[in-house]
Amino acid sequence: MSGVGYTVPAIVAVLAVCALELTLLHTGLFRRPAYWLSMVIVLGFQVPVDGWLTKRSAPVVIYNEGQTSGVRFPFDIPIEDFLFGFALVTAVLLLWEQQRG
Amino acid sequence: MSDRWQYLIVLGLCLAITVPLEFLGAGVYRQPWRLVRAVLPVALVFLAWDAVAIAAGVWTYNGDYITGIRLPFRLPLEEALFFVVIPVCALLTYNAVNAILDRRKRR
Repeated sequence: MSGVGYTVPAIVAVLAVCALELTLLHTGLFRRPAYWLSMVIVLGFQVPVDGWLTKRSAPVVIYNEGQTSGVRFPFDIPIEDFLFGFALVTAVLLLWEQQRG
Repeated sequence: MSDRWQYLIVLGLCLAITVPLEFLGAGVYRQPWRLVRAVLPVALVFLAWDAVAIAAGVWTYNGDYITGIRLPFRLPLEEALFFVVIPVCALLTYNAVNAILDRRKRR
């Protein structure tokens, strides 16, 4: 239950991506309604896909519960996965926006 | 069919259902260089994170549901593809949402 292995890096990743935009990139992504709407849609698809990969009955990915918060919702998804997903997708969208012609 | 294709099939389905989004707006696949420059640097960072997590035993993969093809640092092939497929799906979503919002604005 230490959360050191996954919870802490997941929070750091989210903060790092936000800091990247606010200090270096300045793309304005966070002010675009299309970004937030896209994130809601991505979240909607993350639940079934991630839910499938992490279901405890037949997991594709197996977590060391000593390295997570232990909170798994919805289904058996470790909540850290949502931070991980936010950081991954936001970072890619930021680099995409940065190249806006 | 063997269950070992499961993870690959999930990724394949993600790619398949997002294909139609390409035809809204300027597209993602039609801007290949921009796509590579958005996806590759982020994928490398997350793959490094993944390799450390695997080495530290934070998570592992169920051998029943992956092909067993391993890349350096014991990364399953599927995991490397994940960091391409999911970003591409997200970019296609963002591309489509922008196209739809722009169209409404112009009306």
